[in-house]
Parts: sequence; structure tokens; C-alpha cells
Amino acid sequence: MTSEEYARMVKRCLRCSICKWIPQVQIKNAKHATICPSMDYYNFHAYSGGGKLILANSIETGRIPLSETVRDIVYKCTACGGCSVSCKHLNTLEPLEVIQLLREKLVASGVGPMPRQQEYIDAIKRTGNPYDEPASQRMNWLPDDVKTHDDADIAYFVGCTSSYRRKEIAIATARVLNAAGTRFKLFGSNESCCGSPVLRAGDVESFKELVGRNIDMFTASGVKKIIASCAGCYDMFKVEYPRFEKMPVDIVSASEYFNELIDGGKLVFKDQEPITVTYHDPCHLGRGAEPYIDWDGDVVQMLPMVSLNVPEKPKRCGAGGVYEAPRRVITRLPGVQLVEMDRIKEYSYCCGAGGGVKSAFPDFALHTGQTRITEAESTGATCIVSACPFCSSNLQDAITESKSQLQYKDIAELIYDSIDPSMSGQNNE
Amino acid sequence: MALEKDVFAELVAIVGQANIDDSDAMTDVYAYNWCMEVVNKMEGKEPLPYSPRPLAVVLPASTEEVVGIVKTCNQHGLTFKAQSTGLGPWNNPSTENCIIVDLRRMNKIIAIDEESMLAVVEPYVSGAQLQVELMSRGLNCHMPGAGPQVSPLASATSMSGPGFTSPSTGHSARNVLGVEWVLPDGQVLKLGAAGLEHEPDWYSGDGPGPSLRGIMRGLHGAKSGLGIFTKVGIKLFPFPCDVNWNVTGLSPDYQFEKPDLMKWYIVDCKTYKRAKAFVQRVEEHEVAFMCSVLSNFGLSAIFANSIEKLLGNTVLAMTKVPVVILIAGRTKREFEYKVKVMTSILDEHGLENMAGTKFEPPSISYAEALRSNLGLHGFIATGAFQSSHGIMDTLGVCFKATKQNIPVKMKYINSEQIANDFGEAVWSTSFEHGHMFHAEMLTLYDQTNPDSVTGVADYFNDCNQMDLLQHLGIPFFIDGDERHDWYGPSCSNYNAWLRQIKEALDPACTADAGFYISPRNSKKQVKDKEV
Repeated sequence: MTSEEYARMVKRCLRCSICKWIPQVQIKNAKHATICPSMDYYNFHAYSGGGKLILANSIETGRIPLSETVRDIVYKCTACGGCSVSCKHLNTLEPLEVIQLLREKLVASGVGPMPRQQEYIDAIKRTGNPYDEPASQRMNWLPDDVKTHDDADIAYFVGCTSSYRRKEIAIATARVLNAAGTRFKLFGSNESCCGSPVLRAGDVESFKELVGRNIDMFTASGVKKIIASCAGCYDMFKVEYPRFEKMPVDIVSASEYFNELIDGGKLVFKDQEPITVTYHDPCHLGRGAEPYIDWDGDVVQMLPMVSLNVPEKPKRCGAGGVYEAPRRVITRLPGVQLVEMDRIKEYSYCCGAGGGVKSAFPDFALHTGQTRITEAESTGATCIVSACPFCSSNLQDAITESKSQLQYKDIAELIYDSIDPSMSGQNNE
Repeated sequence: MALEKDVFAELVAIVGQANIDDSDAMTDVYAYNWCMEVVNKMEGKEPLPYSPRPLAVVLPASTEEVVGIVKTCNQHGLTFKAQSTGLGPWNNPSTENCIIVDLRRMNKIIAIDEESMLAVVEPYVSGAQLQVELMSRGLNCHMPGAGPQVSPLASATSMSGPGFTSPSTGHSARNVLGVEWVLPDGQVLKLGAAGLEHEPDWYSGDGPGPSLRGIMRGLHGAKSGLGIFTKVGIKLFPFPCDVNWNVTGLSPDYQFEKPDLMKWYIVDCKTYKRAKAFVQRVEEHEVAFMCSVLSNFGLSAIFANSIEKLLGNTVLAMTKVPVVILIAGRTKREFEYKVKVMTSILDEHGLENMAGTKFEPPSISYAEALRSNLGLHGFIATGAFQSSHGIMDTLGVCFKATKQNIPVKMKYINSEQIANDFGEAVWSTSFEHGHMFHAEMLTLYDQTNPDSVTGVADYFNDCNQMDLLQHLGIPFFIDGDERHDWYGPSCSNYNAWLRQIKEALDPACTADAGFYISPRNSKKQVKDKEV
């Protein structure tokens, strides 16, 4: 978005509050009608997508300065993008992009990000991960039974959270790949943060450095394809990196890759006890993972004030996210029944962890996670499945806090648990 | 201005620290609203989308907290402005010493009485939220043209209320039953059956004596100028068809599994005379779930989800005085009867149904009609629209106004201040199958362009003049002192009576009167004028 487009867009909020709800025709239940975690927790209108457009207009027109108060409003948002999906169902505003640009302006002016977010940005610069863990311990998750191949042209990008905090996801992903006979390599201690938490905090200059470093590493590795089990990493490589530099490799989410493996008969499953699961769409694998499509058309004024994009400008409403692959995987596992929540796919409700919220506003993150867990419980499922280590952390915290009986599993774990034991370690040459 | 510390502390004691904010950043957001720039221009101010900035915003969670806030305002000479979902300039303060009472935390559906066909809701329940809970019981609620995301309570108690389904679900003014009302002095008044000492209920908003419900809102509502409404009973209606609701696909291209017993009629009437005769017959037979007279531009908009698709609906764009009707049935027999009636009326008038022949309505249009989501399509073309007139009268007056408005509007179209709809844009509907009719003339403009805003403001002033001088029914947008005092002398001096109501209930003008009327010699009003 150019600065001219930004200045014009922030003047155009209709204050209709559509951004606070899932698309109106998708509302099925009064309890699960909202889309904005920030509004659901903080309640004041400024916390909505539209509220932040107005805030941006007030700043842009000099009515209020960039301040710590503004900063707190702008960062108390998981940047889940639900507001944008709802707004763009009929309108053309881009609340999420405005929120991102507001964060970048706050950082550029020295007001942002939040102190806790600056701490993890500094940690990434020091150690390559936001947890400030030693890079030398990045591979500690790797069990002895997993085999990797340094000459493989497929790499599994593990990500910081799965490497240091949610090791079970990395282990299950690697074991499924082994079971299917996929030859893959790891980047090992050379792997570093994808930059998602840095970009979401608005530090675009630091993010650019990470983009450059990672793209250099991908190029040097010679791999042709990268599998990401983290929705945040996937979103960065698929959607954000190409906005800065050309990606030298294909990127595929673990869910999509697992789906291909099942399609190709590479995984054999055992009979198992029936289980009912519900699937949580991670924001960055779902609506956020829709790539930007270059549009180089003309804006043709048809009538005074009525203009048309020629050819039609693609609307980024979340339709290009990864929705079917995880569902096809789940529904093909023996004994596993999928029941859907009321808020799914492009209008899924956020887990509450994203946008730097988990570190800066843990109470807000936990509340949002609990809201999602309550919705998952209402389906009658005994297990909530997702495909993002960050969702995993927050939803498991919410399960604990809520004393919920729900089980949490990453999709890789669900698959690995279903694999016929005779296939495990098939590729352990 | 800033809220004094002791007042802030009092409000914190009522709502809690997390539910009050007086920062410039927060209050400036609450000073903004859709069409505020037009209101400002009409009042001779800069055409900015901001009202005076409120001193603070408070978020009460209960009637008791609302009472506390109102009493605090009275004690400290502040005004208050209440808002539910907050769409439109009438949610904004008109004075510099106002606090916003945002009712967002009061969001419960309190009761659904299937037998009496009524629901009791708090202010921040949305129309869609209420509807989905009703659908499982085979019931439906009325939603205003503003859309399913807005508050049924606000529409029922405080703000006009025609909707796309008005032929079958009425008008908000006629659907309001019992009410819990926090008066401007902090007393709680329960209207009608809600005020009974023994076994209070919500089935009626009126009791012995003159209609307090009429005083509360009349036709167009006091827009928070007479206090704050915390609960309301509203009339319900049967859901018009099968309640199964299956929307598939991904945004923005959703598909809807259309219930079998639903059918669109898109009828190109060509002339106003023919359209009038046709609509009157349809309404006489009480077959329409929805029946709207639109312009070809509006017709194209309700069946599109982007400007490209709108302009691509060329068959619809060729129509002249189109009427769009949706019929629905709960039984095959009911539906077949309605189809027969429609066929007969079409034959009688030599008209034909374009839907399914010359134009295939997208399946999602059925869902959007059922959910009253069509009004929001008005924003597709330019990003902003507002309506003028807002006629409430007979169908004849509505058509007369529509026709007479064309040359007035063309003046501003020719000056390129508003978008060119050939002056014909209108949305007209009946209430309760012809009990009354409504027409508003939609105007597309560019809210970011001061010249366009100026054009809209001047055009709206011309429309108000038209309504007054040409007897075009009861208009939407006569509110606030200046316009009431201008219109009143030509209309039974109603403004003097309205002012007496305000004085009786709110002599100190604690409830912001910007979109209602202020009492004589109100210090707060004088203060505003000085500002």
C-alpha cells in the first residue's frame, strides 16, 4: 500500500462494525458470532479493525500524536486479520494492513514496539530465536531414531517454537516424513528465526535482515522445497518474503505435504479407537496465508466517483489459505471423526497468541485461547487439532487454565499416532 | 477539555478501571462517525468526520451501572450520549462536556418467549445474533436497513427502523414492547407490562394512560436524547421458510443452499405508475417476505459483492423502476399459493419476472435477504452513501417524492459532487404489507472529498426544503434544535411539544440533545453554542 493509498484508506471507515463479527451470513450461533479477539477482551471501539483505521486517520491528520497510549491500543491486537476478511466481504478496506503500517510507524518513531517485544527482537538478533536459547541447542529436539539426509533436496524448516518449546511437533513431523520415506534434511544450528515475530511487531528493518539471511541460506543449501510445520514460518516464506525478495525455493506447509503423502499412498494407517476431533485453523496457515497477487491494471473512472479496476483487482479475503489439506488428512485417518467449530477457515477465531500478544499481553492471549477452547468443547470433540506450534502453546495454556478435558494435538502428532507401526522408521536406512 | 479527576474516580468506582478511558486517542476514535462530515457541513462547520471529542468513554455492564453513570453526569453537570453498535453520527456527542456510554458489555439475550412471540434483549445483541437463536425455534426478528450487525434494541427504542423485510416484519417503532429505560435523571422507568408489580412481563409497551412508548421514541426516536434503554421486549415473526442454513465456499464468493420454497421476483416496471399499481396489488395479497422498489443501480448492487460485478449486471442496469420481491413459504401449499398470486398479479399488469430467465440471482442473495444484509451493498460503488428524505407515508407520496427528487439531485450530479445515478436512486418498502410505506433516496458520494461532502450537505438541505414545502411525508433527518425549530412552525408547532417532553424528563439537558431537541434556556446548550 502506497502512502497515498494509506492516507486515503484511513479516511474511509464506515464505522459499521462489520469488522467485529464474522461475515454476517456465516453466523450460526450467537455465542460464536464475533471475530475480533481484541474487541472481545478490551471492548472499546478503538480496539476493532475499524477503530484502528480511525485511529490512523486521527494520527494522519494531526489530531493525536503517536504516543504510548496509541502504542498500547495498536499492539493489543493479535493481527489475526479477521477484521479484514469481514470488512472485505463487501468493502475494499484493509484494516490489517493499516494495523501493520501503524506498528511500523510506531517503531520508526521510537514509540513501538512493546518492551517485551523488543526483548525478543533483541534475542533473535543475539541467538536467532525469540526465546534467547543458545543456537547450539536448536537441534536438541532431534531423537536418535529420526534419519535425515544432508543431500536431500527437501528441507524441513522446524522453526523456533518447535525447536525449543513444542518439540513434540518437530519430532512427530520428522517421524511422519521418515515413515513415508521422504528424504529430507534439516538446517540444523544454521536455522534461525523466520522473522514473523519481528515483522508483526513492526520492526520491518530488522525483518528485512532476516529475510536476506534466510534466503541466502536457502539458496546455499541447494534445496528445492521447504516443508514448514509452523504456520508463522509458512506465512513468512509463502506470503511475506516474496514481497521483499524472490524466494528461491518452493514452500509447502506440513499439512499440505502430509496430504500429498496420503494421496500417494505413502502412509499406511492402523485401525484405532474412534476419536472425535475438531480442527482449529491457524490464522497464518488460513486467511493470512493467502499470497498477494501482483496487480498491474488500470483504475478507470466510469462515472464521477465510480471507478473500476481493469482487469478486476483480486480481493485478498482469505480464500487462498490452506483449509482443505488438513481436513482431508484428518478425515482419512481411521477412526477419526472431524466435527467443525462455528468459526472456521477464513473466518476462524484466533487462538490468541499472535501479533506479539502472547509475550506483551499474556492475560489477553489466555482469555482468547480460553474462548476458542470453549468453542471447541461445544462441538463435542475430545481433541482439538491444529497445525501451528504457537497455537499449540496458547491453546494448551488455555486448556490448563480452563481445566478443560480437551486434548490438544498437532496434526503431525495425530498422523503419527495413526501410522501402522510396521511403517514407522521405514526410511531408517 | 478533560474529565476532572474526582469525576473520573467516581466513574471508575462504578464501572471499574478497565471500563473507562479518557485518553485523547480513545476519545478521538469515538468522535468519528460515518456521515459526521455531512452533518458538520450542514451545520456550517468544516466537513470533517469528527464530532466534539467526548471527555471519556465508559462501558457499563448492568442497568445499575448505567444508573450510576447517569447520576454522576447529573451531579457534575456533564451530558451523556449512549450508543449500542454505534453506526451513524447520531451516536456522537454534540457538546464538549459529554461522556459516551458505550453499551457493548450489555450483550445478553435475556429471554425468548416462543408462545408470546417476543424476545427480550440488551443493547449490544446484534440482529444476526438474535436471529440465529430464533431460527431454531422457527422464529424471526425485524432488522433495520443498516444491517444485521446493528442493535435491535437501538433500532426499537431510539432510531427509526425500516428494513428490507419490513413488509413481513414491520418497522422498529411498531415492534417495541416492554422497555427498561434509565431516564436522564437516573430513575429507572419500566414501560408497559415490564412495570407490573406482580408477574412483570414484556408483552406490551403501553399501559394505562397516554402512550409513554410514543413519548419515548415516536416514529424516529430520540437518539439517546431522553435517556438510556437497557432492556427491550421486541415482537417476533415466524421464520418465512425452512430454517436450515448452509453457506458454503469462501469469502467473498459464498454460496447458499437455497431453501426449496423461496423465489426472487425481479420486475422491470418501466414507469412509476405501473410500479405503484403492481406493488399495491402485491401488498394487498400479503405474499411478500420482502418487496422493495429500487433504481437500476440499487438493483444491480444488491446482487453484487464488488463494483466490478455491480457494473457487470448489465441486464439489471437496463431496467427502469424495478421492483424486487422475495416470496417464501413454510409449506409447499403456502409457497404454491404465493407463486400463483404472483403469477396472477404479473399477468394482470403485463409484467414478467426477470429472475431465473434474464438474470440468475446468486444463491447467496437469498441468505443475504433472509439476514437483512442487503443495505450494506450500498457502499460498494463509492464507499459511502447516505439517504435523503426518508419519507414515511403512502406509496403515492413515496413515488411522488422519488420523481420530484430527480431534478433536485441532478443539479448536484451535474456539478459532479455526487455520483450519477440519473437522480433515480431510491429504496422504497412497505411496512406490514402496506400499512405504511417508506422511501429514502440514496446518494453516493466520496467522503474523502470536501467538495463532494459539500454537495451532499447542500443537496440534503434542499431535500429537507422539498419535504416541507411539497408535503412529502414525515422525513428521516429532521433532528436537532435548528432543524426542528425550522420545520416545527410549518407542522403544528410540534417542536414546542417535543421541547416540553424534553423539559419534563430532562430539564438540565443531561442526555445529549444534539439529535433530539434541547430544553429552553439549557445551560449546556448555550455552552455548546459558545464553543
